[in-house]
Amino acid sequence: MAAGIRWRRLLWQLLLVGLVISLLGLAWLDARIRQRFDNHQWQLPARVYARPVELYSGREMTGQNLDQLLSLLRYRPDSAAREPGSYARFDGGVLLHTRGFRDSDGGEPAQLVRLRIDGPRIGKLTDGSGRPVPVARLEPLQIGSIHPGHSEDRVLVKLEEVPPLLVHMLMATEDRGFHEHHGISIRGLMRAVFANLRAGEMEQGGSTLTQQLVKNFWLTRERTLSRKLVEIPMALLLELHYSKAQILETYLNEVYLGQDGGRAIHGMGLGAQFYFGRPLAELEPHQFAMLIGLLKGPSYYDPRRHPERARQRRDIVLQAAASQGLLDEKVLSHFRNKALDVVPKGGSALYAFPHFIDLVRRQLARDYPPHILASEGLIIHSTLDVLAQLVAEQKLSDFLTPHKELNGAVIITAPDQGDVLALVGDKSPRSAGFNRALDAQRPIGSLAKPAVVLAALQQPAKFHLGSVVTDGPFEVRMEDGQVWQPKNFDNQSLGAMAVTDALAQSRNQAIARLGLDAGLGEVIRTFQKLGVQSRIPPYPSIFLGSLNLSPFETAVMYQTIATGGQRTPLRSITDVLDRHGQPLARYPVRPEQVIDPEPAYLLQWALRQAMTQGTGRYAVAQLPEKLVVAGKTGTSDGQRDAWFAGFSGSHLALVWLGRDDNGDTGFTGSSGPLRIWTSIMAALPQRPMRLAPPTGVELVWLDPDGERLSGKGCDGAREYPLMTASIPQQTSACGKVQSVPGGIRKWFKGLFD
Amino acid sequence: MVQRFVRLILLSASLMLAACASRMTDPLAPMGMPPEDPLKGSAAETLWQQAVTAREHNQLSAAGRYLERALYMQPESSWLYRELAELRLREDDPQTAEVMAQRALRLAPKRPAYQAALWQLIATARARQGNEQGAARARLEAEMLMRRQ
Repeated sequence: MAAGIRWRRLLWQLLLVGLVISLLGLAWLDARIRQRFDNHQWQLPARVYARPVELYSGREMTGQNLDQLLSLLRYRPDSAAREPGSYARFDGGVLLHTRGFRDSDGGEPAQLVRLRIDGPRIGKLTDGSGRPVPVARLEPLQIGSIHPGHSEDRVLVKLEEVPPLLVHMLMATEDRGFHEHHGISIRGLMRAVFANLRAGEMEQGGSTLTQQLVKNFWLTRERTLSRKLVEIPMALLLELHYSKAQILETYLNEVYLGQDGGRAIHGMGLGAQFYFGRPLAELEPHQFAMLIGLLKGPSYYDPRRHPERARQRRDIVLQAAASQGLLDEKVLSHFRNKALDVVPKGGSALYAFPHFIDLVRRQLARDYPPHILASEGLIIHSTLDVLAQLVAEQKLSDFLTPHKELNGAVIITAPDQGDVLALVGDKSPRSAGFNRALDAQRPIGSLAKPAVVLAALQQPAKFHLGSVVTDGPFEVRMEDGQVWQPKNFDNQSLGAMAVTDALAQSRNQAIARLGLDAGLGEVIRTFQKLGVQSRIPPYPSIFLGSLNLSPFETAVMYQTIATGGQRTPLRSITDVLDRHGQPLARYPVRPEQVIDPEPAYLLQWALRQAMTQGTGRYAVAQLPEKLVVAGKTGTSDGQRDAWFAGFSGSHLALVWLGRDDNGDTGFTGSSGPLRIWTSIMAALPQRPMRLAPPTGVELVWLDPDGERLSGKGCDGAREYPLMTASIPQQTSACGKVQSVPGGIRKWFKGLFD
Repeated sequence: MVQRFVRLILLSASLMLAACASRMTDPLAPMGMPPEDPLKGSAAETLWQQAVTAREHNQLSAAGRYLERALYMQPESSWLYRELAELRLREDDPQTAEVMAQRALRLAPKRPAYQAALWQLIATARARQGNEQGAARARLEAEMLMRRQ
């Protein structure tokens, strides 16, 4: 009897202890749930967007360009363009329903715009009701995300933005009693078992959405009894503290939907982008069904790797939706007959431009630590012009297709802004391998010559474009005893010639002599002023390009030439916004006048001569007559590198060709890169370079020796732009010498110089 | 040296005379966009107006973005560069302001008052960089243009 009482007491004590432990456990779980749920910050990698396309009357844009953009942005045809991301064609025009976006100027609302394409331009631009619209923007294309190493990625969605059909289909498949239960559902479990037995496979899961969220959010993926024991009270506690809407929204953003290398695809928002290339709100029922179907096994039902299996799973979800009355038989049959409509993984713009993204990543790394980039959801507006990028890729690829052993790089910039519009670092532009545009260090050959000429032109009392230099053999004995004997590409020497011709015809001996006369130190300083930061070896061979630079650094150098001496750091980012679209940082254009406008203009003029009379003649013959361009060819020793860098008023483009084994390319700057450059420039909307000389430069006629003023029509006389300090005092006997304006200016300048 | 001194005396005297002879226009006085500026009547003009509104509300970042967008559409507009120069001055970036004003000058129509105002902007930008000599030279250019009026 006493033993019985003792046992009962012990039992009560044990129960009491158990209750206390359970209560403590519950309190601990409760704290854990609230702590995580209340303080949760979604991990969002930085997203990089291309330049938004501006639409305005008069903008150069062909119908083909517009089609390309609509295809990249995955606009779908719809007879009345009812929803954002859709378009309708009408007689001679297109009605677009843009998606809208945030920007540091406030951004753009989603809106209807009607545009007509007249030849190569946008003709009329109006809104949906026909009122004129001065400017509208297409939303920028997302071209990448910055997620160092292994990390989660997602596109956050708010519950009110999620299509109700998706939510209903989700419940029909995963948790029909979601709105009735308190976290767990015995009825749901029994129904799932029964349904699965009837279907002969796992059609429904036994866990509620709340339980699934608990698993994803707090627990490991192992299926253990202890986890099950914790899962149930946690689900109950979660329901106790939070509304159904909060739980559902968190679920929709948390679910794991697949893997993309080191990047885990989470949430329905990113799932829609990752599998279908569109925002969630724009998907159709069969695509909702696929996303929901993936919840059961993202790898097993991966629609790209196992399309048949994925399709079966999708159809089960559609069937479950129909059985709940969400789709009628006709609609069910319509969507069951649809293809999976999954975008190919490589076809997404997210992977299309790895080398440009590489540049963005490097420029971002200067200002943002990796953990911020990986988690804060920064919105990065970049300078990439998608159409220019596609042109650059296509033209490089067209040229290199028959030359398997060659590779190349192309950079296109907008000189005035310093914006990198396109960057190609490989002839296979989608491969994220070696980025030749940024990392190939190659001898720049004759692309160095403009720096030599500029070093001379900055000494106007000694040199001008008509100064005569000798293209003839000579040698320089170096400090280490070696002898440098520059030779011309054709192994000939042409004798006395004007500096302009030496540059236009790329004469090695004449330019080398000019470099020595101008001074090695001056030439090195000029390279540095132009933006070269790499070490420049202090040898005269740099005059002819024995100087290893990347295509990018070389483009920086030519950028300064194209802007008339204003060094403009090349930027790939214009704005950084936080995850809510609030501006964080601007990257404004910050040019610096590093070369006086006068010598910079003279160099531009000489590079123009290189195109009209020198090594760049091919381009002038191909391009429209009104398109004034300037540029320079370059070929390194043994034709191991072939270059061309040139510019119009609106674009600077640089093309490099070479072999990864450093062998002979078989091309010179003229026969290879110039051809690619010309086809790129011909395909871009262009503005000619400005020819008007700045104050302090006058056009004068000079004798052939360049030392006396002459007159138009005199024997051998040529007209050159000259800085006032270079204008000779002596005049020739021939012709009527024009009066040289600028004297008064010279007088005033004398006050301060 | 003597020559420079004589020139300075002559210049000062002539400027004083000129100042007495005619009522000088203040080159810093606010002036409008030159009628021949390609911005006038173009789609980019809307963006410029939005930039002005943003600037009035002290939203300088947004104003900068509007102006850069407008310049992309209308790169030959001297007025847009002038506006960007003024904005950069407000943002305490006189170096960029000077370059932008020089660009504006390069594209400017032959209107001495407008060009003088640009030189004055350059002078301010140079002075803020501590380049007093450059500022004086720019002011002189402005004065010469005003005398040509």
